[in-house]
Amino acid sequence: MNENNNVLIRCHELTKNYKKGNRLVTPLEKLDLEVKRGEFLALMGPSGSGKTTLLNLIAGIDQPSEGVLEVCGEDIGKLSRSKLARWRAAHVGYIFQLYHLVPVLTAFENVELPLLLSNMSRRDRRERVEHTLSLVGLDGRMHHYPKELSGGQEQRVAIARALVASPELLVADEPTGDLDREAADSVLQLLHQLVEEYDKTIVMVTHDPRAAERAGRLLHLEKGRLLETEAG
Amino acid sequence: MLPFGYAIRNLMRDPARLLQAVLGSGLVVLMVMIAAAINNGMVGVLSASGSAKNIILLGAGSEESVLRSEISDRTAGIAESSITGLEKQVDVRAVSPEIHQMSFIAIDSNDRKQAFMRGVTPRALLVHQGVSVQAGHYVRPGQVMVGRLAWRRLGLPEEALQPGAEIWVEGTPMTIAGIFAAPGTVMESEIWMDLNDLRSMSLREHLSCVVLRLDTGEFEDIDLFTKQRLDLELAALRESDYFAKIAAFYAPIRGMTWMTALLIATGALLGGLNTLYAAFAPRIREIATLQAIGFGRRAILFSLVQESTITTLCGALVASFVAIGLLDGIAVSFSIGSFILSVSPSVAMAGLMTGLGLGLVGAIPPGLRCLLPPLPSALRSAG
Repeated sequence: MNENNNVLIRCHELTKNYKKGNRLVTPLEKLDLEVKRGEFLALMGPSGSGKTTLLNLIAGIDQPSEGVLEVCGEDIGKLSRSKLARWRAAHVGYIFQLYHLVPVLTAFENVELPLLLSNMSRRDRRERVEHTLSLVGLDGRMHHYPKELSGGQEQRVAIARALVASPELLVADEPTGDLDREAADSVLQLLHQLVEEYDKTIVMVTHDPRAAERAGRLLHLEKGRLLETEAG
Repeated sequence: MLPFGYAIRNLMRDPARLLQAVLGSGLVVLMVMIAAAINNGMVGVLSASGSAKNIILLGAGSEESVLRSEISDRTAGIAESSITGLEKQVDVRAVSPEIHQMSFIAIDSNDRKQAFMRGVTPRALLVHQGVSVQAGHYVRPGQVMVGRLAWRRLGLPEEALQPGAEIWVEGTPMTIAGIFAAPGTVMESEIWMDLNDLRSMSLREHLSCVVLRLDTGEFEDIDLFTKQRLDLELAALRESDYFAKIAAFYAPIRGMTWMTALLIATGALLGGLNTLYAAFAPRIREIATLQAIGFGRRAILFSLVQESTITTLCGALVASFVAIGLLDGIAVSFSIGSFILSVSPSVAMAGLMTGLGLGLVGAIPPGLRCLLPPLPSALRSAG
């Protein structure tokens, strides 16, 4: 595989701005970044530095104001909202700080959600969900509702949901921010395992230096600009 | 598509709110069903009251109301001998001279009610063939015969108008000879008495009308007869056309019924929108999450519409049970008669369509309010 094909995310002069009242806010300005396949990248920076904005842009949740943003071989800055939704379903799994599980669905049903967007048969879906839940160590909690799970378990369900459709890219917004030390370690171990064993690419926003240590690469952002790059 | 179970389980998040929404939509549906039943009942009774085979001869210029009509006493005899093609039974031609008038009746001296009186002869049964005596016997001089819904029209207890009872008509005591039925017609609210009794009681020299029943004859022949006999100053109307005119007269009232139902439904819809706003608003983050996973706005909106439609259809079901239990069979009076409210298939369909419409329309504004905010801010909203 040549160097170009190995790049999963490419940002060139990526800028995001929006209007807040009469003021133009620029959370991200002319950012250049490449992330290779199979990388585990951590983004750190103070509040308002633009890390969540960058994560949302990479995940196709938001769209850039200027610049080029290619993810998984697609210039997603040019996709319409509906195409972007389809693209997200096929290429990205999003892990949220507060899990964002649907409270009226069981763990199994939450994880099954992304597969409902595919043409998979019911039986294949069941097998895939069971396999994914066992991968995150929750095969005994499949039929529990979110309120019946601990925070760590909820985050594992969220990871399983992000993972189940086999996306190339996982993005995580402070995935350990709401967890105690033990649960956070366990979740980070799982993310690390996904990179090492399943060749997933992960971009993670975190405030926690211990979490950042697990990443293969660490980027610092401040005032919408990239400050430094270091090995995790 | 989101699973149907998602919509169902969302309904159970807040049972109190669900109950409120079901009862609210049920009330709207019930209002529409009442309006539809009144409308159907009124139109039905007026259209059933007129037969296309019956021709009314009434005074020229009084085509709008038989009550205002006065025609010569000789009309019945002249029409019977001049017009061919009338129905006959045992050589008796179906020609019924009648007096129609509003009279005061009382069951005791203090309580006077205005009733629609029809002075008739035994020939009335030859033209009004839907009429049958249910209890007692046909009216004779000195007696009256009451329609089976007359008590309802007059606001009297049903027992007050039973055969053998006495009522005062314009101050004259009369015995009730019998009760008659004329299903689905305004005649069921009338009081019939002997033609000559009513004539002398009301000091009238003239008839109100003569009703003829056609066999092989044509309306045009009778119309021609009225135009040839200018001395009688007659006009001919098909009975069905006469009641169609009355139905048209009542159209604004029916329109008001619908308008009232519509206004109440609109008010309730606005209230329902608030309920749905309140139900969907705490789910903005969840809805944004579904979008982040890859579900399109349309699929999510469809699921929200499913939720609200299930709720309003439950309301429609409740309303239908209430309507069948409390509404079906109730007699309603209006100025010229009474009709029975009925939860007919068309009334049930009106209720169902209202429930469906409320569900479909009601979910869209609050649904869009949850779907339209930019995803990044929606994902950060309180969940």
